Amino acid sequence: MLTLSDVKKSFGAHEVIKGISFQVEKGESFGLLGPNGAGKSTLISMICGLIPNGEGEIRVNGKLVSKHRKETQQMIGVVPQDIALYPTMSALDNLMFWGKMYGLSGKKAKDRAKEVLEIVGLTERGKDRVETFSGGMKRRINIGAALMHEPQLLIMDEPTVGIDPQSRSHILETVKSLNEQGLTVIYTSHYMEEVEFLCKRIAIIDEGKLLISGTKKDLNNRLAGGIVLKLTVGSLHPSFIEQVKKLNGVEKVIVQQAEEIDVHLQSKMESVADVILLASQSGVVIHNMHLKEANLETLFLQLTGRSLRE
Amino acid sequence: MKKILSICLFEIKRTFKKKSSIVLMLGMPLLFTFLFGSIFGKNADIAFRIALVDEEQTAYSKDIIQKLMHDEMISYELFNALEAEKLLASNEVQGIVTLEKGIANKLRNEEPAATFQPSLGIATAPLIKQQVNQAMQSLDIYVAAAQVGGFYFNESWESVYERLTGNERQIQAWTEQRINASDGHPLMGISYSSAGFSIMFVMIMMLSMTGTLIEARQAGIWSRLFTTPVTRFQVLLGYFLSFFIVGGIQFFLLILLSSTLFDVNWGSPVALLLLVTALLLCVVGLGMSIASLVKTVEQQNAIGTLVIISTCMLGGVYWPISIVPDVMQKIANFVPQTWAMEGFTSLIADSGTVGDILVPLIVLLGFAVIFLSIGLSRMNYT
Repeated sequence: MLTLSDVKKSFGAHEVIKGISFQVEKGESFGLLGPNGAGKSTLISMICGLIPNGEGEIRVNGKLVSKHRKETQQMIGVVPQDIALYPTMSALDNLMFWGKMYGLSGKKAKDRAKEVLEIVGLTERGKDRVETFSGGMKRRINIGAALMHEPQLLIMDEPTVGIDPQSRSHILETVKSLNEQGLTVIYTSHYMEEVEFLCKRIAIIDEGKLLISGTKKDLNNRLAGGIVLKLTVGSLHPSFIEQVKKLNGVEKVIVQQAEEIDVHLQSKMESVADVILLASQSGVVIHNMHLKEANLETLFLQLTGRSLRE
Repeated sequence: MKKILSICLFEIKRTFKKKSSIVLMLGMPLLFTFLFGSIFGKNADIAFRIALVDEEQTAYSKDIIQKLMHDEMISYELFNALEAEKLLASNEVQGIVTLEKGIANKLRNEEPAATFQPSLGIATAPLIKQQVNQAMQSLDIYVAAAQVGGFYFNESWESVYERLTGNERQIQAWTEQRINASDGHPLMGISYSSAGFSIMFVMIMMLSMTGTLIEARQAGIWSRLFTTPVTRFQVLLGYFLSFFIVGGIQFFLLILLSSTLFDVNWGSPVALLLLVTALLLCVVGLGMSIASLVKTVEQQNAIGTLVIISTCMLGGVYWPISIVPDVMQKIANFVPQTWAMEGFTSLIADSGTVGDILVPLIVLLGFAVIFLSIGLSRMNYT
C-alpha cells in the first residue's frame, strides 16, 4: 500500500528526515511513534503530497507521490493534528465540503456525509454548528472529513490530542473497527498505549531517523530486559552500579537521577533478591523500589535515553 | 471547475450565515449614506446657511464674496450686519462671516481680516473658516501686486486691483459659461454619500472577507486542502470568486436601495457595471495583498482599517476632494477611491457613458493588477 525508500528532507541546511524506509501493507494498522519534533508530521506531509520529499521515493499503491500527486491524494484520507473545520458551519456542511474537495458531487456528498456521521456517532448533531461541539466531537468530525471519499489509506496525525477519555476511547474503537473492515491505517502519536492498542506494526522515529520497526512482539524481543526494577536509594556509589551490572540476569543499569536507578532485568525474582542483597552489603540504603513491566516507552527510553513525551 | 465553484459557494454561504455580514454589507452603508447625505445633501442650503456681511465694500471684498457664493455645499447670502445678527438669533442662519474694513491691509500685515461667528454646535465651522481663508488667499497675490502698483503709479491700490482682476473675471465668466453649456455638475448630497459610502463599505466588507484567507491558514484548513486533490490555483480562484461575487451583490443591493430609498440616479447601467467591476477587482486585490503581508486576522483588521479609512479620506469619499489643499489633491491621485469617485461623479452627475469613464477604468484596473500581483506572489499557503 505504502512504500518509503530512503526518504530524506531538509529545510535549508537542517536535515529533518534522514533516510527513512518502511513499508505498510494493505489492510495493516501501522503505528508511527516518536516524541515532538521527531519528524512524524514532516513524514506525513510528504506522504500526502503537502510538501515535496527531497531524496528517496514515496509510493502509494505503486504510484510515486512526486509524479502522481493528485492520484495518490485521492487514495489517502488525512486527519490532521489541527481541527481543520469551519466552526460556523454545521457538521453536515463541513463533511460535504471536504467530500466535494475529493470530487464527490452534491447528492453523493450529502449521502456519504450522513453515513460518515453515523460512523463517528454524531448523526443527531449533523445540523449543529461545529463551534457548539465539545473537543472530542470536533475531533470525530475531523476524522469523518477524512473518510468522506472512502480512502484506501487513512493517515492520522495525533488525532486524540486534548480530548476527554470517553471521546478518546470512542475514536480508538472507531479506527480499530475501520481497520478491521479493511482500511489501511497509519497512526502517529506519542501516546504509546494508543499505538499499542491499534497497531500491529510499529516504527519508532527520533531526530528524523527510524530507530526501530516491527511487530509489537519483535519490538518486545528487542527490549534489553523484560522487567525494570526502579530503585530510589539514599546515596549512590559508582562501585555499586558497576557491581549491579555484573550480577547474573541484569541487562542494563540506567541512572535516572542522582538517587534513582533503573535496573533492567532479564526476568525472575532471584535477580531482584540479588540486587537487594548487594545493596545491603554495599551499605546502600533503599528508600523505595518497584517493579515495572517493560513496554514501548521503555524501549524508546533505551534507544534514545529520552522519554516519548519530552 | 466543480472544485472552484464548491469553494466559492461554500465561502459565500459562510459569509451570509453571519448576521454581522448583513449589517456590514447593507445596514451600515445605508445609515452612513443617510446621515452624511443629509449633511451634504439636497437640504444642505437649509442646514448650512451662512450670512455674509461686507464692511469693506471694495472690489476685493466683492471678489471674495463671489468666490464663496460659488460654493456648492454651503449657501452664503449677503446681509447687512443688523439683519445678519437677527437671522443668527432666530437660527435662520448658522453663522455670520464678516469681511472687515481694511481687509486687504490686514491681510498683508497678517492680521485677522475676517471674522466668523458660528451658532452653537455647528460642526462645519472649521470648514467655513477654511473656505473664507482660501478665498482671501487666492486673491492675495492680486492685492499685493495692486499695492505695489498703486505705490509706483501713484494710484489707489483698489483701482489697480480693479484693472488687474478685470481680465480674470472675464475669463472666469467665460469658463463658467462653458461649464454650464457642457452640463457638468458636481456630485452632491445623498448621491455623493451613496457613491462614497458604497465604496468604503465594500472595501471594509472585502477586508473582512479576505481575512478568511488568514483564518483558514491559521486553522490548518489550507494545509488540509492541499492534502486533497486540489491545486493552489483552484483554491485561490475559488476564494477570489467568492469575494468578487459577495462584493458584487453588496454593490448591486446598495445601488438598488439607494435608488429606491434616496432617489439616486446611478447613470448608464453598462458603464456602472464596468466601473463597479474594475473597482471590485481593485478592492479584492487590495484585501488579498494585505492578507498576504500580515500574519494574523487582528493585524489584517488593524492595518486594513487604517489603510481604508485614510485612503477614503484622501480619495474624497467623505467630502469633495476640491475642498482639500492642492498638495493633498495631487497625492489623492495615488489612491483608487479618487478614481472611483471620479467615475461615479461622471456617471451620476454628468450622465456619463463608458467613454467618459475610460480613464478611471484604466487606472482602477492598473491598481487591481498591482494589488493582485502583490497578493498572489506573497501569499503564504502553509
